[in-house]
Amino acid sequence: MVALVIGSTFVVLLLGILVAGLLRSHADILRALHDLGAGVGDPSAAPAPPPVPVTFTPPAGGPELGAAPAVAGVTPTGDARAVAVDNSDDFTLLGFLSSGCTGCAAFWDALQDPGRLQLPDRTRVVIVTKGPDREIPAEVQAKATGRVPVVMSTQAWLDYQVPGSPFFVLVDGATGRKVGQGVASQVAQLTELVRRAEHDRGHGGGTRGRGDTSLAGPAREAAADEVLAAAGILPGDPSLYPRTLDDVFPHGHPVPAE
Amino acid sequence: MATIGAHGITARLPAGFEGRIFVRPATVGVTYPVGQFATFPIPDDIGDFGSGAVTLMGPSDVFSTLFEYGPESVGTALFARQGRPDALTESDFSPMTLRRGIPGQSGTQWFFTESGRPFAFYAVLGSHAQRAVLVPHVNTLLSSLTLSPAVTDVPAARPRWN
Repeated sequence: MVALVIGSTFVVLLLGILVAGLLRSHADILRALHDLGAGVGDPSAAPAPPPVPVTFTPPAGGPELGAAPAVAGVTPTGDARAVAVDNSDDFTLLGFLSSGCTGCAAFWDALQDPGRLQLPDRTRVVIVTKGPDREIPAEVQAKATGRVPVVMSTQAWLDYQVPGSPFFVLVDGATGRKVGQGVASQVAQLTELVRRAEHDRGHGGGTRGRGDTSLAGPAREAAADEVLAAAGILPGDPSLYPRTLDDVFPHGHPVPAE
Repeated sequence: MATIGAHGITARLPAGFEGRIFVRPATVGVTYPVGQFATFPIPDDIGDFGSGAVTLMGPSDVFSTLFEYGPESVGTALFARQGRPDALTESDFSPMTLRRGIPGQSGTQWFFTESGRPFAFYAVLGSHAQRAVLVPHVNTLLSSLTLSPAVTDVPAARPRWN
């Protein structure tokens, strides 16, 4: 009888130690997940995280951030996508997001709703997640609306040295260089920083003439040469070097139309 | 230089190019892969042959589409050419070849069969006057493409549980 009681007590103690160990390891896991930003329970019921200071590097007066490589990967639906950030005069805002981070939720919505985001005109938004080796495409697809490109590319995270999500990089397409990068805790902060970058670069548009059917610069010269050649006016033609107005208007001066 | 690949098409994109390779969801029938490549930002909601994109081109831009047709087209006269065109010349581009005539632009279109797959290659130059500069970009893009034989979805080849 005594042996039975001692044995039972020993078993109970042993089980108690095991349960305590399991609870402790579970608590460690939960604490680690919390530190990584993973939510537990109903996110809407959780208190809002404290605001994180914006560390977006200002485009003017800041350190040189270097060239911005293209972003190439796959889409959540398995298609291929490459986005060049140096092929326009516009800004490109790269938003490095994850499907599971609680801090990314507001940016998933905002970046895919240009009207709400109120970014400066001609600012292109691209969302970049890690590749299918680190993200579940179906979860990314569930967050994508199709309004902006969503590229899954672990290589892009490495290229841009992304420390974690959410992370943003602003690229000036005219130079192909990064003009700002960092984290923001609120959408409004991100919008303001992009606007400031555009203001610092100044207005006046770019040099590529995109969206404008008129030719400019060398293209205009080449087009003019082609038309003149088709009309039989070649380099050296006397009509190209008038000395008097009569050479230009041999039949009298034209009257401007009203 | 970025490399993308999907649906048996791989593109090692030349500098300045971006692109996408996709298959549209089929509402009716079967759809096949499409590759779109351009030297300007490609909007997501454009037509297969660039409607909605060519109006955004600048004079120094290039847009091109690689469009695959169904296997029933293999062996037909239209796709009799074996292999993609190479070394396109300025005379291969004409304003009359554009699917949508836009003043100043010109285009070229080729039908061919490669790796047992029937394709159309369509390219648009932002400025016909600059074709001497732009055509080499199209040739570089063409040479960067790798077209693999079509992947047949054989049930036995799918991964299975042990």
